[in-house]
Amino acid sequence: MPHFTNKKLILLLVGTIFLVALISFSLRDRQNASVPEQFIKDTVGFAQFLVAKPANYITGIFNDINSLLNTYEENKRLKMRLEDFAVLQAEVNTLQSENESLKELVDKKDSLKDFDPLKATVIARNPDQWEEKIILNRGSSHGVQLNMAVMTANGLIGKISLVTPFTSEVELLYSNNPNYRVSAMVQGENSDVFGLIEGYDAERNELILKRIDSSFKVKEGEQVVTSGLGGIYPKGILIGEVTEVTTDDYGLTKMAYVKPAANFSMLEDVIIAKRTSVSVNGSDGTGTNADLTNGTESETTDTIEGEE
Amino acid sequence: MIRFLIPFVAVVLFLLEPEFALFSPISWGDQTLILVPRFVILYLIFISIYYSKKRACLYGLIFGLLYDVFYIDIIGLYSFLYPLVCFVAGSTVKFIHQHLSVTTILSVVLVALMEAFLYYFFSFIQFTTIPVSDFLSNRLLPTIIANLLFLIMLGWAFKYLINARLLQRARDNS
Repeated sequence: MPHFTNKKLILLLVGTIFLVALISFSLRDRQNASVPEQFIKDTVGFAQFLVAKPANYITGIFNDINSLLNTYEENKRLKMRLEDFAVLQAEVNTLQSENESLKELVDKKDSLKDFDPLKATVIARNPDQWEEKIILNRGSSHGVQLNMAVMTANGLIGKISLVTPFTSEVELLYSNNPNYRVSAMVQGENSDVFGLIEGYDAERNELILKRIDSSFKVKEGEQVVTSGLGGIYPKGILIGEVTEVTTDDYGLTKMAYVKPAANFSMLEDVIIAKRTSVSVNGSDGTGTNADLTNGTESETTDTIEGEE
Repeated sequence: MIRFLIPFVAVVLFLLEPEFALFSPISWGDQTLILVPRFVILYLIFISIYYSKKRACLYGLIFGLLYDVFYIDIIGLYSFLYPLVCFVAGSTVKFIHQHLSVTTILSVVLVALMEAFLYYFFSFIQFTTIPVSDFLSNRLLPTIIANLLFLIMLGWAFKYLINARLLQRARDNS
């Protein structure tokens, strides 16, 4: 039994209070980094970037070897799909030109679909994976802003949750944050069905698409894309594929399990999507519950900045 | 030279942790296994046992703070846990035999305890909702195995490095 003097006991008590205060203080505001925090993040981020380069190179070699071994089978499979692809390509071309001419006809300039892509490299993943987070080597000095959509070539993976001058953090779709919502739609045969991606099922490892109107039919295998109605994400980024449709907890709406299209385990290069049309702080935003209709001063200026 | 090698190795391990984390999660059958690399704290436990408890606690504080700021955004979590683990490890020196295998097992046990504490902390602030059984089978066990493998491969190197530093210090003093 260690001998505690009064002085030591007081020191321990003060230390504990200080610790709890510090933790609760930093838990309160996690979307902005103070100046010393930014400095540490940028410095560590730079060192991390130097390490990530060769590490990515080495994993790249392993991946290359792996794909080399599968070349024959993959080639066979791809050749089969190539014929379909040519037909699809022709169809897309005609649709695209038709779309453009129709847009000109109605004089519609900006679309929710348009975005400026910004390439970024993943320099680190949060090693204790309690929160699914990755860190990119692009920051506010490169034009990254809070809440931008982040995706790979395969599909949406998350949104920017914190920005420093030279790094940014991405909160992945696999998040326990109850305020993390993505407005999505299911591309049905006849019409699009809207819903919200809210949370994920840890056991199935799949996302949950909630609040689907029960009068609409959603089938397994249909594709889920972002709808762009949340105010932040561009429209039409692939999220995944419906695997199962059930009714909601209260039986009023339907919900569907969505298997994400993007592979979350080996992320290397990602694309940050800056929406070109006006973005607002909406439902898949910061979760501040701010009054959007009457918009406070700061928000109005935000919108104007977005328009420029 | 060796004087600076000890903190340098800690920095390298700190930077390597997230690179190894990129491999996780691994899907095995229908299970998703999460491996958490804990290289820095394992190394610090070795320093604490073989070299100096005070020095280990100091490094623990520094690297814990960096970890908090860079990854977690909750300041005070790892910057408290790392020094605490180092302190506990350093305090056991009097009671246990300092053989490499004993140290390895002790380090892994301490890391497992830390992981369990973190689980309770994160479920307390509702960052995670997984049940205890899932935590034990899908997180704790793979993490323990992965870190044990890491120590079996590199534990002797840590000990060798620290011993070299101790020898050098003894030579300087005499």
